[in-house]
Amino acid sequence: MVDLFDWDRFFTNIPQIVAYLPVTFKIVFYATLFGVILALLVAVIRIKKIPILHQVAGIYVSFMRGTPMLVQLLVVFYGIPIVMQQLFNINVNRWDKIIFVYITYILNQGAFLSEIFRCSILAIPTGQLEAAYSVGLTQFQAFRRIILPQAVRVAVPSFGSDFIGLFQNTSLAFLIGVVDIMGRAKTIGTATKHVLEAYVFIAIFFIIISLLVKGAFYLLDKKLAYGR
Amino acid sequence: MGFNFIYFYDSVRSGIEYLPNTFELTFIPILVGLCLGILIAVIRVYRIPFFAPLLAVLITLYQGIPLVVALMIYHLLFMAAFNNFAAVLHLSISMADINTIWIGIFALSLHATCYMEESIKGAFFSVDQGQYEAGYSVGLTRLQTLRRIIIPQVIPVALPMLTNNIVGTIKGSSIVMVIGITEVLAGSVIPASKTYAFFEGYIAAALIYWIFTILVEKFAMRIEKRGDKYRRNLV
Repeated sequence: MVDLFDWDRFFTNIPQIVAYLPVTFKIVFYATLFGVILALLVAVIRIKKIPILHQVAGIYVSFMRGTPMLVQLLVVFYGIPIVMQQLFNINVNRWDKIIFVYITYILNQGAFLSEIFRCSILAIPTGQLEAAYSVGLTQFQAFRRIILPQAVRVAVPSFGSDFIGLFQNTSLAFLIGVVDIMGRAKTIGTATKHVLEAYVFIAIFFIIISLLVKGAFYLLDKKLAYGR
Repeated sequence: MGFNFIYFYDSVRSGIEYLPNTFELTFIPILVGLCLGILIAVIRVYRIPFFAPLLAVLITLYQGIPLVVALMIYHLLFMAAFNNFAAVLHLSISMADINTIWIGIFALSLHATCYMEESIKGAFFSVDQGQYEAGYSVGLTRLQTLRRIIIPQVIPVALPMLTNNIVGTIKGSSIVMVIGITEVLAGSVIPASKTYAFFEGYIAAALIYWIFTILVEKFAMRIEKRGDKYRRNLV
């Protein structure tokens, strides 16, 4: 009981866990980068209502929003090997587990961000587009110079909370055996039988990250408050 | 290899069997989250000294902790300290008497409280300050103004955000699998321990969650539409 929490162990754990931070940051980086690209594609498909693709995109977004992240991760982890084997006859058992994490998080972010983008583009009054056309801008020019700057401003707060959520969701990756900070905490637990310190440090790390991201997006939001 | 519909069907049935656990893990936290969320939101909206800043800091910090990490910490603390704790209070219960589902409910309740408080607080701030003043000017007390003027305007604004929080809690309830609670997700893969049909099992779980959240969203949308009737003179 007395031995539950020990500051010495807490401080010796820190460097061991920090060494695995790049794994977490990599997941966030890839998920955001490719997630944004995928989201733009999906948002355009849904706004322009391209037949067939529009319905497929709708089901995809609904599935990603309606099922837990953990379930998606497990479906991808167990499903992709089967799909690859059946369709392309490729054996993916040798793939690094982190690849499945990247795929899941990119697909998940693609859906969530596409909704954010779509709603913020649709939030701009049609009059703005008509005004742009009336002064002779082309469709692309109107989008880039009139719609996009206003839509970005609408999207920033939601994007920020989504980004914090993404960081928190990376803590699920260890459940399929990826060694990130959570996975490392688990191995520390197996080796030393003391894991509380490691989890407390991870909790503090996530709190700091969420405060930093919140602060950064607050500043960004203020900076984007032009014309108000 | 391939998709086996018989295994899939078994998994769906097994998952549905554990739906009551998921209901329990969803409804109790939502109820707790709503009650505490409203209380804390009111404290913060009225800027009650000491409590308002304290709760603001606590909620901001707690929101930063991922659910898995919180669950792991509570589970560890429970395992390590519960028997001593019960001995101190002279309770004749031991760890084995308590269902671990309560750890999940506890963690989910705290998370639901934080997120619902934010939604409710946001809805409170959407009501114009003039509404309070108008209420006081016709002689209503603080509580009467709150009950008759403010809250009826808060509800329609808060509903869509609360729906999101509820769906979030449903989805979060799948994470309690990590501390060994059997709910829909863990239940769906029980048949897979014999057949190794994990893929079918997880697809079954996804399907159950998907239908569940869609039903909740549809239901919430109907309530929102009813609320809209009373807002016709706005906009």
